[in-house]
Amino acid sequence: MMPVEYDAIVIGGGHNGLVNAAYLARAGKKTLVLERRHILGGASVTEEIFPGFKFSVFSYVVSLFRPEIIRDLNLTQHGLMILPLESTLAPLPDGDYLYRGADHYESYRNIARFSPRDADAYEDYSRSMYFMAKAVKYVLGIIPPDPASLHLNDLSGLARMARQFLNLDGDQFYTLVRLMTMSSADFLERWFESEPLMGTLSASGIIGTFLGPRSPGSAYVLLHHYMGEIDGVFRAWGFAKGGTGAIAGAIASSARALGVDIRTNAAVSKIIVQNGQSVGVALENGDEIYARVVVSSLDPQQTFLKLIDPALLPDELVASVRKYIYRGSSGKVNLALDAPPELACLPGPGPHLRGAISISPSVDYIERAYDDAKYGDFSRRPYIDVIVPSMIDPDMAPPGKHVMSCFVQYAPYHLRDGNWDDQREAFGEAVVDTLAEYIPNLKDIILHRQVLTPLDIERTTGLTEGNIFQGELSLSQLFFLRPAPGLAKYRTPIRKTYLCGSSTHPGGGITGAPGRLAALEILKDWQP
Amino acid sequence: MTNAPGHKSYEVIVIGAGHNGLVTAAYLAKAGKQVLVIERRPHVGGAASTEEVFQGYKANTGATDAGLFLPRIVSDLDLESHGLGWVESPALVFAPQLDGNSLTLWRDPNRSVAEIAGFSKTDADRYPAFLRLVSRLAEVLSLMLTVSPPSLPEIRVGELLPWLRTALKLKSLGEHDMMEFLRFLPMSVADFLDEWFESRALKAAIGSSGVTGSFLGPRSSGTALMLLYQAIHAGKAGFRSSRFVQGGIGRLSQALAEVAIQHGAEICTGLEVSEIILDGNNASGVRLGNGERIDARAVVSSVDPQRTFFGLVGAPHLEVRFVREVKNIRLHSSLARVHLALSGLPSFPGASQAGPGGNLSGHILICPDLDYLERAFDDAKYGRFSSRPLLDIVIPTLSDPALAPPGKHILSIDAYYAPYALQEGGWDEKRGELLDVVLQTLAAYSPGITNLITNTQVITPLDLEREYGLTRGDIYQGQMGLDQILMMRPVPGYGRYRAPVKNLFLCGAGTHPGGGVTGAPGYNAAREIMDLRTD
Repeated sequence: MMPVEYDAIVIGGGHNGLVNAAYLARAGKKTLVLERRHILGGASVTEEIFPGFKFSVFSYVVSLFRPEIIRDLNLTQHGLMILPLESTLAPLPDGDYLYRGADHYESYRNIARFSPRDADAYEDYSRSMYFMAKAVKYVLGIIPPDPASLHLNDLSGLARMARQFLNLDGDQFYTLVRLMTMSSADFLERWFESEPLMGTLSASGIIGTFLGPRSPGSAYVLLHHYMGEIDGVFRAWGFAKGGTGAIAGAIASSARALGVDIRTNAAVSKIIVQNGQSVGVALENGDEIYARVVVSSLDPQQTFLKLIDPALLPDELVASVRKYIYRGSSGKVNLALDAPPELACLPGPGPHLRGAISISPSVDYIERAYDDAKYGDFSRRPYIDVIVPSMIDPDMAPPGKHVMSCFVQYAPYHLRDGNWDDQREAFGEAVVDTLAEYIPNLKDIILHRQVLTPLDIERTTGLTEGNIFQGELSLSQLFFLRPAPGLAKYRTPIRKTYLCGSSTHPGGGITGAPGRLAALEILKDWQP
Repeated sequence: MTNAPGHKSYEVIVIGAGHNGLVTAAYLAKAGKQVLVIERRPHVGGAASTEEVFQGYKANTGATDAGLFLPRIVSDLDLESHGLGWVESPALVFAPQLDGNSLTLWRDPNRSVAEIAGFSKTDADRYPAFLRLVSRLAEVLSLMLTVSPPSLPEIRVGELLPWLRTALKLKSLGEHDMMEFLRFLPMSVADFLDEWFESRALKAAIGSSGVTGSFLGPRSSGTALMLLYQAIHAGKAGFRSSRFVQGGIGRLSQALAEVAIQHGAEICTGLEVSEIILDGNNASGVRLGNGERIDARAVVSSVDPQRTFFGLVGAPHLEVRFVREVKNIRLHSSLARVHLALSGLPSFPGASQAGPGGNLSGHILICPDLDYLERAFDDAKYGRFSSRPLLDIVIPTLSDPALAPPGKHILSIDAYYAPYALQEGGWDEKRGELLDVVLQTLAAYSPGITNLITNTQVITPLDLEREYGLTRGDIYQGQMGLDQILMMRPVPGYGRYRAPVKNLFLCGAGTHPGGGVTGAPGYNAAREIMDLRTD
């Protein structure tokens, strides 16, 4: 009989794994986190890729992080500081731009330059989305009830949900149905007419998905991204001081303070299953560590098809895991800059450089970028979401110099022609060429360029096919269907084995919600 | 049928003698109501008509397939005694490939399995299970056809009770299939079929029905639902419901008209309604194109919602919010139609049995794989008709030789996609170009076909609007996306065939459940009208 050293082992030190461990420790469970890489954070990491320049390598902004987790884990005391991203600037090919910022009236005036009707509609739209997000937000904090079950918990969960949504007044209810089913372009066309505004707004409907703005289902993603909340300010996006790695850092610090053991450079090669139950893990170096419960923050593909002997898995589970769709569609280009970037439409310094710069001049622009990807090419003229973290947090780069983070779509994981290792530089070129059209000094000031393709994302972080949400956020795989019926409550068909990453409800983004909800379920199951 | 109404007032006036309008009229007449149907065109049927398009040649000018038509209506109205006969072609879909190969999916699944094995052994093994699943899921949908959508978010027990049957059916599927149903509802047909099959030809032959009437590509969410919808009542044939009407689909409309007349309804053709007359907020009759006024206790419009409310009622009579909702109904043209008169039967390599009862007896699909279809949709997104369109072709003369002179044939094509609003130019000028593209595409799969063509007719989206009253050429009177079905159809709050105007009803495809030749909207509307106490 091998000694059981831990109550729980959490595989993966990404933000959800860390949150999960912290909550278990908080309930008195002796917990160990095992992280393959030398640093914690998974896709929320800050690395000095080029001397003196700190990059939020993968994820770069935060908004959806659950406030209750910040409170419960005292994250602010442990160093979490979110600096607001106050504006979005959309530069246009003709040299004009659309600017929307924290100043309500300034946004109004800017939109009115394109369409006075849209400027008025924008206020209504924002208000409507605010109410929608509030109405739906409670879903982020609940365990999905199982519609096929007759258990009291599930039935009452379903009833509560039905009441919650049916209590909406008519207009809100119908708007919600539309948000759940329409394309972001069609949804926005009900409100607006000007292309630059619709282009930029529709962009948040495609982030992390393999959908275009004209794809039904993209309006849901719009809503998902609208549910952000920082310090009580709805929908605000922010940048963590120190990069997104600082978020993982704060959670890790809190976890350690609660007694969690964390080991890096500790890749897990196998979950040890005996008699239909997980009893521990084996590391790549051969060590075996035993625990009463094993929690995986990795996605189902990694968890079930790589870490467990397939002969031990029920056929139906394997079938479900295989049906789960990843379809990574995004890449990242991180640049170290010798000087501030100069926007052709707004040269010189200014508050606009402390916000997001969105290359999304129209719905058709993004739709054409999507068309390229559908058939296995990266977008020749991609959608790009740019921030310059050093403008907000000067510690990210040496004085006078900058880091520029570019989130790019689309970069389909499966290429029609060749592979990503061969195409990486061409992809980087396409991104820089596109940006250079709006930032004329860009090519002159690049000191270093890091290009991350979906393959790189997969290799480094373990996100299958480079999908940043551990699986598409489409209606077929959300809520009680995420990642599959029977896996939607963080439990798996193997006893004492749980999932806690973004492939479980409520899905992706730096929320910590799956980590926390999984912990609550694990604790419910706990036998003394 | 007559040219002028016999009376000055009726209990119910039905505007439009398309198949839904006729179904409503027949049921109301059978229930004893005094009904007048007014149709603008010279004959009944609307988009379910068989007309002489060239001398000696009759074509199904709109829909060609009546597979979705509700069996319940056929029996309630005893349509088979009124000349309605069916043709169940042995072939469902013939899908030629560019390399000369072809895949035929037969009504008999065993024959299909043998064919599919030529493309993929594993697909052939999975096909029967696929058909079983589609059939089970389509059964759930079929129960939804004949109930009126509840007025959510208000909960009215009386409205929800009829849905109990559907809910129980869903539960009876068992946990696995029930979850599959919920999973498939929002899926794209491409993803749905990728889960089951590997053969591109097979996926295209099955999946193309997922875009019927839709301005969506096969990768768009909602197309899996449309595939299931098109499979309602398919029975053993599984993935697609298909039945032709003997003598042409117009015979179905004629049979409906006969039954209505037999029960006392009057049907006037060649008469246009120019206005629905309001008395305060009450529909009190209609005004005809010639200025004549006919009174009615209730007016039912089978015309699409935009045309009804803006064209016949008038926006100034309606609340601003309702007007905005109607204005925002997503109406999209998806197809254009082409009819060809042929001097002989075309040959398709791979169609070993060319005659009646052979490979070509059902639908011929030019769509080698789903990427082809997705690219066709890409063109349409930006305001062009597809340079390589999906062609859904039927040669009705194979089962109905009387539709053309002896030895000659009619070939009817639904060409996807043809958007209503073109980026450059207008449909009247582009008619010829469209024909060229269609014929070029066809000729690549049926060499020599152009030599057989003796006459052509092109029906563009603009023609669909002008001739058949289908606004923006949307044959479904409103796209059937998940946002425009059930209580959202035609607009939220008005899912039960009523209008904000008292005694005005809708009964066309723009209402639940939507389009296709089902007769369901007409049936449900009639039930709603009969359930009301008329005051």
